[in-house]
Amino acid sequence: MDIFLQACVNGLLMGGFYSLMGMGQNVIFGVMKIVNFCHGEMLMVGMYLTYMLNQVFGMDPYLCVPFVAIIMFGLGALIQHTLITPSLGTKSFTNLLFLTVGLGLLLSNGALVIFGSAYRTIPTSYARTNISLGMVNIPLPRLISFLVLIVISIALFIFLKKSTTGKQIRAVSQNPVGAEVVGINTKKIYVLTYGIGTALAGIAGSLLTGFYTIYPTAGASFGFRALIVVVVGGLGSIPGAFFAGIFLGLLETMVALFVSPSYSDLIVFVTFIVILVVRQLIILRRK
Amino acid sequence: MSEKIKTVRGYHRNVTIVLGVILAIFLLIPTFVKNPYTLNVFILIFYMSTLSMAWNLLGGMTGQNSLGHAAYMGLGAYAASMLITKAHMNPWLSAVLGVIIVGLVAGVIFYPCFILKGPYFTLVSIAFGEALRQFIINSSFFGRASGIGLPFGRDSWLNFRFGSKEPYYYVGLAMVLLVYLIMKKIERSRMGYALRTIREDEDAAAAIGINPMKYKIMAVVVSAMVAGLVGFFYASYIRYIDPEMMVQAKSTESVLPAVVGGAAFVEGPLVGGLIMIPLSEFLRAKFSSILPGINMLMYAIVLLVVIRFRPAGILGWYDHSKFKTFIDTKILRKPPIEVIEEVEMMKQQGKEA
Repeated sequence: MDIFLQACVNGLLMGGFYSLMGMGQNVIFGVMKIVNFCHGEMLMVGMYLTYMLNQVFGMDPYLCVPFVAIIMFGLGALIQHTLITPSLGTKSFTNLLFLTVGLGLLLSNGALVIFGSAYRTIPTSYARTNISLGMVNIPLPRLISFLVLIVISIALFIFLKKSTTGKQIRAVSQNPVGAEVVGINTKKIYVLTYGIGTALAGIAGSLLTGFYTIYPTAGASFGFRALIVVVVGGLGSIPGAFFAGIFLGLLETMVALFVSPSYSDLIVFVTFIVILVVRQLIILRRK
Repeated sequence: MSEKIKTVRGYHRNVTIVLGVILAIFLLIPTFVKNPYTLNVFILIFYMSTLSMAWNLLGGMTGQNSLGHAAYMGLGAYAASMLITKAHMNPWLSAVLGVIIVGLVAGVIFYPCFILKGPYFTLVSIAFGEALRQFIINSSFFGRASGIGLPFGRDSWLNFRFGSKEPYYYVGLAMVLLVYLIMKKIERSRMGYALRTIREDEDAAAAIGINPMKYKIMAVVVSAMVAGLVGFFYASYIRYIDPEMMVQAKSTESVLPAVVGGAAFVEGPLVGGLIMIPLSEFLRAKFSSILPGINMLMYAIVLLVVIRFRPAGILGWYDHSKFKTFIDTKILRKPPIEVIEEVEMMKQQGKEA
């Protein structure tokens, strides 16, 4: 029972990151209908940014989060403005796909060139602190990260629901032509959305550094899980992405606990395929 | 009239001569180039271009962007290697069986996934590839993560094993030619037209009586079988395979020649492969010991520049360039397109009459 509860908590804490990544991917996919294949690499860039800030200014990884978010927003906006928006005009899904794939290659190999393949960590005084709640132990960095990302998820949800910009983003995601007709600058919204998406990935990376190793391909598994979260949680739904992320985290730890840790990836991918196919079958049935 | 027929015949003859010269150059390369490293680069070009052609049938021609072709290649390599090591089968026979197995797996297990469209198809292809890789990593029958080594032995054509690179060069070249001719045949066939219609608009294709499901399955199966053939070649050449060859980055690498060369053309992967693979190998040899990752970084930059400024790839640019007009008019002496069409029409009528 102890182990089961501990696994649940671990799954929940990890699932939070999948949620955050999924939300970023969801905003981008929802608005521009492109799959951002460099989302995991953006997380990795966020990790290295935190590492740099920590090394140069001696900042605590959690203090870096707002700075990383701002820098990543700028990076995302720049990429959208210079690369993706011009290619959106060609309407070629293949090109857009390989644009983000190429960006992913660029970022991960750029990190390899600059930082080398060594595994890095950010040592903190509280890294080994555990908080025990009855039968389960929660490492302090994981708990802080989880709380921060819950706050960010709620903030994002309110932003998209209530603010004018948020409403504009939702309008563009539902009908870009209609949005343009009522006077929304869709190009600006695209830049904003991609910026928000990459900023969320950067925040996730920054929050991970408290207890995760930093290396050039650290983001790959998170990037793919973000896609799973988008599909499972439903397009454009922030609460859906949140719960899908938690579900994914729990699924992984449960498989690791009851079957074998080495099978957790296999089960995740097979579950994903089944969900994709069943989802499409339901859509076809409805028609 | 006979004047026109003569010019058209002359044009076709010139094209044949140019293609023949290119083929002859490739056939003669091993007699002049003895450096194993250079030959290795050529072999790499051959099998990566073939893999890219396999992708191109699905991605470029049908518009179904797969990012899981390394998995089909790995599956072919594993199927053939298992037959060779466990069943002690002849490599050539195991190649045929391996390719059939890959086709069956792609057609039967992947069957429910064909209902997925656009980005969802890409996602399922990634998930399928990763699931396959994880399955092999977890299966002791397939040698888990440590992979399988193929037996060494004496040089022989029967066992498809050689110490030198030359025979692999010729087999690789034959493989490229065979697959290219198959792709060219498909492009000009009923299937090719159906696939391109599906790429442009699937619903419209269904409305005019093309069954999108049927043609997509045909495309995936042929594409996977070619990828499986490349897998067999890779396994026989390297003599060692492991699940690492199926990682997603390898799938991406297999797509780049097609995208850079021009995904709308059958020749795209060949042109892209001829440019990108020597570039990548050169960068790897020159810089990877100083700065690891620099070769893939340059690779990524080339890809981004091509997509941003030449979205149709190198061949797409060539198709509208002055260079092509120069080659067509001065070297090939191509008559105007109306003349060619007129002569074609006359031939058709001649046949019917």
